[in-house]
Amino acid sequence: MLGAGSTKYGKLDDSISDITIQASAAAIENAGIEPKEIKAGYISNVFGVADKQVHLGPVVMSNLGISERPSLSIESACGSGSVSFREAYANVAAGFYDAVLVTGVEKVTHTGTEWTTTYFSYCSDFFYEGQAGASFPGLFASMARAYLNEFDATEEDLASVAVKNHDNGLSNPKAHLRRKITIDDVMNSAVVASPLKLFDCCPFSDGASSVVICNEQFARDHSKDYVKVIGSGRGGSPAALQGREHLTTIPSTKIAAADAYKMAGITAKDVDFAEVHDCFTVAEVVDTEDLGFFEKGEGAKAARNGETKLNGSISINPSGGLKSKGHPIGATGVGQVVEVFEQLTGKSGERTVNDAKIGLTQNFGATGASCAVHIFQSV
Amino acid sequence: MLVVLFIYSKVCKLSAKPEFIEQAKNGNVLARKCTNCGELHLATVYFCKKCGSKCFEDSVISGKGKIVTYTIMTVPPEGFEEFAPYAWAVMELDDDSRLRISGFLPKVATPEDLPIGTLAEIVGFDERGIVLKKQ
Repeated sequence: MLGAGSTKYGKLDDSISDITIQASAAAIENAGIEPKEIKAGYISNVFGVADKQVHLGPVVMSNLGISERPSLSIESACGSGSVSFREAYANVAAGFYDAVLVTGVEKVTHTGTEWTTTYFSYCSDFFYEGQAGASFPGLFASMARAYLNEFDATEEDLASVAVKNHDNGLSNPKAHLRRKITIDDVMNSAVVASPLKLFDCCPFSDGASSVVICNEQFARDHSKDYVKVIGSGRGGSPAALQGREHLTTIPSTKIAAADAYKMAGITAKDVDFAEVHDCFTVAEVVDTEDLGFFEKGEGAKAARNGETKLNGSISINPSGGLKSKGHPIGATGVGQVVEVFEQLTGKSGERTVNDAKIGLTQNFGATGASCAVHIFQSV
Repeated sequence: MLVVLFIYSKVCKLSAKPEFIEQAKNGNVLARKCTNCGELHLATVYFCKKCGSKCFEDSVISGKGKIVTYTIMTVPPEGFEEFAPYAWAVMELDDDSRLRISGFLPKVATPEDLPIGTLAEIVGFDERGIVLKKQ
């Protein structure tokens, strides 16, 4: 990985095409290369229809002056970005291209909460879930209730995840929600889908993130500031929650993590920090267990005890995560990779994870029906 | 070839969503037992998750069970505004299949209304999908 760039996350005025191009141009510039050196484009996006632009690839490539280069769009709900990254990585690894562009984008805040709640529910197994009135907060709330019922965990423990991620996001100039919050703020916020409250939920965000991936020879020829991809894994889960044996684990994360760890030749203990999919506070707790950082049922206690804080025993979501940095769903998986690139090339400022050599990203679609995990190492 | 396909389609059915919906309207769950390995599935599947076979025999199960988890929706999606607050719940069926099924469960306002383990049943299927109620 040779370069990375992002727009600010939040409520943006520019069009979906504009922010996609802005992030892409920033990544290319950061990589220190010319657009002509990009051989293909991978765009991740879910609801381009909301801002009247699907088939984003050719629009982006044309505005980068490389209209002849192939591109495609990839949709895998909230996990689109990491799947797009994986496909781009696989194509470079297979030797099809020396260098490619991976850009994720979403633009939905202009549509309002009801539109987004409704359309996002189309990412569920709609016949059993969305159709029956379950929103995404509702589906994760059902997982949260099962978790609270099964393990030593309280709603305050879940709230501590939100407090920690807001603390981290304060140091991220591109984060959507940059404000300090307390456990009481979370507990007193309006109930969205019990037991989850407004501050347990990530925001709907606009934003775009982009990285340049290339083979190692190309990277060496252009810069000293590159980051190696050492592990890549993907997995699946039953699409509907009712089909899962356990409601407090996400099978696709475990499958993807096992593959990524195996490829990298490391274990969870070797990871210095991770950007995980905290669309809701309970998700981060479950993720940190499924990725092997804590035993099943111990994740909430670890959050309560501050183990996942910046420079705690393992720094989780130094960027602020989806909760504070924001969740433009098609961009999120790429945005996590941007954070890892900045961390491992010494560009994270106040939110730097000390002495970090190995970073991990985990990004899933829907309730974890699909997931991709990537592992990165500094050079 | 057409004859073979005809015989195959008689033995090995495709997904039975219309029949599944009809059974739900009568308070039942249409399940499918794999004729190769015996694994039980909801009838909306096409292939057995255990052995990969697509040959099933129908099995109608009573839509009664107990709640294993749920949420109470206070910020509803489009079309559910008039019902909020309501529950969306996952229920484990009473028979020994351990099959789970989820659905819309109206008139639940607080967690005290629906402790985990509450007995519930399927009472219908309409534009809100599978509809549940407390037994």
